[in-house]
Amino acid sequence: MIDKYTWWEKLLIYTGVLVFLTFVLAPFIEAFMVSLRPIDAVFRVPYRFFTEDMSFAAYFTMWENVPKLWRYILNSFFISCCATALALACIIPAAYSFSRFEYRFRNPILGGFLAINMIGAAVLIIPLYKLMLNLGLLNSYASMIIPGAAFTVPTGIFLMRSYLLRIPKELEEAAYVDGAGRIYTLWRVILPVALPGIVVVAITTFITAYAQQFLFALTFNSNSDLHPLPMGLYQFFGRQRIVWNELMAASLVGILPVLLVYVFLQRYIVAGLTAGAVKE
Amino acid sequence: MGQLRMDNVQKRFGDTEVIKGVSLDIANGEFVVFVGPSGCGKSTLLRMIAGLEEISEGEILIDGTVVNDLAPVKRGISMVFQSYALYPHMSVYENIAFPLRVERLAQPEVDKRVKRASDILKLHERLTHKPGQLSGGQRQRVAIGRAIVREPEVFLFDEPLSNLDAALRAEMRVELSKLHRELEATMIYVTHDQVEAMTMADRIVVLDAGFVSQVGSPLELYHRPQNTFVAGFIGNPKMNFLPATCTESDETGATVQLSNGASIRVPVAARPGLEGQALTLGIRPEHIHVDEGDLVLEFTPTVVERLGIHTVTYSTLPDGNGTFTTVLEGTAPAETGKPLGHGFNAADCHLFDGAGAAFSRTAPMADTPPSVLPTGPDHTQ
Repeated sequence: MIDKYTWWEKLLIYTGVLVFLTFVLAPFIEAFMVSLRPIDAVFRVPYRFFTEDMSFAAYFTMWENVPKLWRYILNSFFISCCATALALACIIPAAYSFSRFEYRFRNPILGGFLAINMIGAAVLIIPLYKLMLNLGLLNSYASMIIPGAAFTVPTGIFLMRSYLLRIPKELEEAAYVDGAGRIYTLWRVILPVALPGIVVVAITTFITAYAQQFLFALTFNSNSDLHPLPMGLYQFFGRQRIVWNELMAASLVGILPVLLVYVFLQRYIVAGLTAGAVKE
Repeated sequence: MGQLRMDNVQKRFGDTEVIKGVSLDIANGEFVVFVGPSGCGKSTLLRMIAGLEEISEGEILIDGTVVNDLAPVKRGISMVFQSYALYPHMSVYENIAFPLRVERLAQPEVDKRVKRASDILKLHERLTHKPGQLSGGQRQRVAIGRAIVREPEVFLFDEPLSNLDAALRAEMRVELSKLHRELEATMIYVTHDQVEAMTMADRIVVLDAGFVSQVGSPLELYHRPQNTFVAGFIGNPKMNFLPATCTESDETGATVQLSNGASIRVPVAARPGLEGQALTLGIRPEHIHVDEGDLVLEFTPTVVERLGIHTVTYSTLPDGNGTFTTVLEGTAPAETGKPLGHGFNAADCHLFDGAGAAFSRTAPMADTPPSVLPTGPDHTQ
């Protein structure tokens, strides 16, 4: 493609990008700056971006202040991983069925899934609580994993389905002509080809599950050993004061698992989102 | 053995009838090509033989067994798809071995069979590559390798060469013909490209909107098309059709008058009593000569294409509907906008009745070797 922008158009574009990025990234930068300041200096007036008393002290003291912090981070990671695995186990067969088979009420069922998506988890929290109570799942990992997975399934099915729809039908027909059954074809042909799509769905599911833990943990779990990070962060809210700098430090450390997942899998996301968009 | 029989096979999608009753016998070892314009049902018919589409009515028999409800693999067929349908994550070896893996054959046997297939298709050096690293022709060969490794009785090809460029297509055409001779298997091949049909087929099945329009050897279709559809479809550029009125007819020929008043007697097995009927006179562009022949018509070319070996001219018919095409010698004195005498011989003409059905031609075809000639007017089914 020919670069047809003049210098001032470029300037305009880059300014726009800069404004946008500032808008998105400023909270993260401020969170990082707060985590470096001593607690007394957090609300200093007048505001100063750089100060001499900055240090990484909060990143060490937070582990003492909330001794189980590492456990909360691991819990968060564990719950999200389990929720992702469980959700994928539901999403892949469901999406395959939606994308390949003709049956009565197929589209209404798909519509139903999407409609459920519009109802937030908060609305359903009381019925869910009763359900968990009756099933005896309160105060267990399962009480946070199962709803976490359930609420990501509709979006996942929709994403996965559109990816599967792009896989040429002839691949399956070829396998069918060669004598392979449905399950064999799904396992040996479709899933490997759909891997980028599966990774995209896995990441979105993981991130959603990671982000929505707070509500389920707050409601369904009172065992502090099982708490995920958002509940753990709550412990920085003391009776007299909130330990802002440590809270921010813990938040940033808590984002790390998601960030790692993202960094390692992002090439799949890009490949997955654009696969088949142009002739290769 | 790969003997295949179709008995009044029909296919409906809802209310739409796609295949409207096809009956056909295909002998073991025959190379049969289905041709027809887009949407004529040729691919659907092939997919019905493959077992990818259900048969709404009628029966398909392979070696005497009704296969209507059998899975593809049980029918003893294998299929090559237009898009190759290779598994992108598997090596060439695994792609070819896929049907054998499904069968759970032992590794030594898989090795042996894949090696044999790669020998035939010259793919040894590519066995470890992924399909994405191959050229179009190589991909197509892998797809064929996957089809032959199971040693089926009937091969089905669904427009396998249409994704290749012209040079490669010509090359693969020769290779496929060779492969057919080597394997001695029955092959059914779908294409919209009549060059592929003419060059490879033992018999061509011309399909028109769900019906079999004509079945016959390539030259039979060329020399004795049974109707205007086949006459127009086989041959490139397509046959010229001129409206005509019959003035006199008997068993040995019919005399027709064209709209400009000129008359010609065409040697066809007509019947008496056609006088006054509107007929269609067909003449192939390659049978036109400048200013010589039994009848010379004057048209003015609007486009002249000089290809070196040939000169192709296009003239608009005087009544305004239709084009008259010629394929003349490379040095023919044709010029755009200058009237040109389009001459042709009665023996080269085709004559069709009002419904488009051909009268059998009686003119001998002297220059054609007897082995490829149609045996007579009644040979076609």
